[in-house]
Amino acid sequence: MSIRRSAVLAGAVALALSLTACGGSSDADGNDTGNTGNGADGGSAGGAESNETRVFGADNGDITIPADPQRVVATGYAVPVLIEAGAPLVGISSWQRGEPMMNEEDLATYEGITRVAGELAAETNYEAIAGVEPDLIVIGVPAPVLGDLDLDRLESIAPVVAIGPTIPSAWRELSRLQADAAGALERFDEVQAEYEAAAAELAEKYADVLPDLDFGHIGAYGEVAGGTFQREFGGSWGTNVAEDIGANYYGEVKEPGPGSRAVSEYPSIEELPDALGDAEAITYTVNADGSVPEPVQYVMDSELWQNLPAVKAGMTFPVRYTEAATYRQAVLALEALDESFAPLLDR
Amino acid sequence: MTVKDREARRTGTARGAPQVGLLLGGLALLLVIAVISVGIGARSIPPAEVIRALLAPAGTDDHVIVRELRLPRALLAVAVGAALAVAGTLIQTMTRNPLAEPGILGVTAGAGFAITLGSAYGLAAGPAGTMGFAILGSVLAAVLVTAVGRHSPLRLVLTGVALTAVLGGVALGLRLMSPNVFDVYRFWSVGSLASREQAPILVPVTAVVVALACALLLGRSLDALALGENVAHTLGTRVNRIRGAVLVLVTVLSGAATALAGPILFVGLMVPHLVRRVAGGSVPWLLAHSMVVGPILLLFADIGSRVLLPTGEVPVAIVTAFLGGPMLIWAVRRYGAGTL
Repeated sequence: MSIRRSAVLAGAVALALSLTACGGSSDADGNDTGNTGNGADGGSAGGAESNETRVFGADNGDITIPADPQRVVATGYAVPVLIEAGAPLVGISSWQRGEPMMNEEDLATYEGITRVAGELAAETNYEAIAGVEPDLIVIGVPAPVLGDLDLDRLESIAPVVAIGPTIPSAWRELSRLQADAAGALERFDEVQAEYEAAAAELAEKYADVLPDLDFGHIGAYGEVAGGTFQREFGGSWGTNVAEDIGANYYGEVKEPGPGSRAVSEYPSIEELPDALGDAEAITYTVNADGSVPEPVQYVMDSELWQNLPAVKAGMTFPVRYTEAATYRQAVLALEALDESFAPLLDR
Repeated sequence: MTVKDREARRTGTARGAPQVGLLLGGLALLLVIAVISVGIGARSIPPAEVIRALLAPAGTDDHVIVRELRLPRALLAVAVGAALAVAGTLIQTMTRNPLAEPGILGVTAGAGFAITLGSAYGLAAGPAGTMGFAILGSVLAAVLVTAVGRHSPLRLVLTGVALTAVLGGVALGLRLMSPNVFDVYRFWSVGSLASREQAPILVPVTAVVVALACALLLGRSLDALALGENVAHTLGTRVNRIRGAVLVLVTVLSGAATALAGPILFVGLMVPHLVRRVAGGSVPWLLAHSMVVGPILLLFADIGSRVLLPTGEVPVAIVTAFLGGPMLIWAVRRYGAGTL
C-alpha cells in the first residue's frame, strides 16, 4: 500500500528507537536558511571534468562540492527529483513508494541505475557507493534519519550534501536545492514551469468554486493509530497541491510539532464532528490506484462521518498522489484533482 | 489489635472474610467504572446526554459516540480484562508458577507471527483480516505447545518459551525485510481497545463468555490440583483431564483477548497476584475475583488512554503497564506474593 510506504523512512527511526510514529522532523528553518550556498547560478556552471568547486549550504553544514558534478549518487527523496531533473546519476537508493508516480521514461531510468541502498537509510551499502565512484552524494532523508548513516564514511568517498524533507509542502524548495546541488537545474526548471502553468490553468478553471469553500482533509500519511484519524491542514501532503489551484483548508493544528506535525494531527475519532463539522467540502487521500487506505476507510465507515454536513451534501472528493514530492509527480496530482473536482463545475 | 487482626490486616483480608460481599463490592465498582468509561472521552458529553444516549438514542453525534464508540469499547474492555485475568489465574494455578501468564503458551507470539506472515502475503488486511490471523496463530501455537509439553507443567512452560523465541525471531526477520509488514505489526503489537468497534467481535466475545463460564465450573477441581498432583490424585481428581481442559480454556481466553485487543500482557500476570490474598486460597473465589478485577483494571487504563494526550490516544497496553507495574510492586510489598 503506497500510502503506508510513505512512513518507511520515518519508520526507520521508529524501528530503532521506539513505536512512536514520526514524520519528517528536521527544522524547517534549518533547511530554508541552509540554502545559503551558491543558489541557482552555481548549478549549471562549468564544463565536463571541471575541477571548479563551490560551497553549498545543506542540512549537514556548508559543503564544498563540484561546481558541475558528473557522477552523482542520490538517496531517499532526492532519487525521484534527480531522475526527473536528468542529473548524471550513477547510484540510487531503492524508492518503491515513488514508483507508482513515475512515468515510463523515469521508471526505465530508475530501474537502470545501480542500487546502492535499500528503502531505509540503515540499508546503505557503502562499498557499493564507493564502487560507482561518485563525485557527489545527495542524501534526501529527514534529519533524524541521518543518524542511521555513517556520514564520515560517505564523506571519505565524495562530498555529501544532506537535503531532507521538512514540512510536506517544502518539497518545492527542497527539490530545487537537490537539483541545484546536482547541477541539474535546467531540466528541473522546465518541469517546474510545466507544473505552474497547469496549476494556473486549473486555478482559473475552478476560480468560481474552490476559493469560496472551506475545505477539510482526511489523510493517511504514516500509520494512523487505532481510534484516531489524520486531519491535514493547509501545507500538508494531501492539501498543498490543491491549495495551488485555489482550495482553502481552514483551521490549524492544536499542538504543532516538528515536520509534518506542524500541518497535520491525529485526533480521536470522537473529535471528527468538531474537526470537520464546519467543513463545506472534504477531500480525502486515496491510493494511486484509487483504492481507499485503511485509516481513511475507518473514518468513512463511522456513523460520525455520515453525520457530517459536507458528507450529507455530497461534497467529498478523493485525492490521489498526495505523496507527490516532485513537480512531475505534482502534475499527476493536479490531473487527479481536476478529475475529482470536476463535478463542482456543474453545481 | 490482636495478633489475628494484625495478620488479617497484613494479608488484606481474613480467611473467613465474606467473599460474596467482596465480590458484590467489586461488581459495584466495575459498574461505576464502566459508567465513567462511557461518559469520558476526547469529546466532552454532559452526563445527562450520556444517559439519554443510552436510554433514548436520537442519532446525534453525542449519541453516536456513546453508543457506537464508547459502549462497545467498554464492553470489550470488560471481556478482554476478564479473559486475560482468568487465563492468568488458570495458568498460574495449573503450573504452580507465579510468573506464568497467558502468553506462556505461545499464544501472543503465535498471533504476532501469523499477522506478520499474513501481512507479508497481503492477506491480513483490515480489522477482520488481522483478527482472523491472530486467532489462527494463537490456536496453532497453543496446540503445538500443548502437544509437546502436556505431560508436565515444566515441559509446558519451557516449550512455550522456546516456541515464543522461535516465532518471535522469524517474525522479526520478516518484519525487518518488509517495511510494510513492519507498519502493520507495530501498531497491532501495542494492544489497544480503540477502533475495534468496527471489527467482527461477536465470535471472540462469545468465546470469552463461554470460556469464563467453563473456568468457573473447573474451580473446585483446580482447588485440588493446587495442592499438588499427588494430593489431587488422592482426592479423586482426574489430573490429566483437568489439565487438558485448563489448556483449552487458556488458549481460548488469551487467543480471543489477543485477537480482540492485541497483546496486553501484564493483566494476566498481575491480577491473580492482586486478588490471591482476597480469595483466601480458594481457586473458585480466585477465579471469580479475577473475573471482576481484570475488567476494572483494563477499564481504568482505557479511560487513562483516552485522556492522557491532548489529541489522539495512548494504547491501553502502555497505560496498563505504566499503572500496573507500580501497583503490582505495591501489592507485593504490602501483602506479599501469596502462595500458589
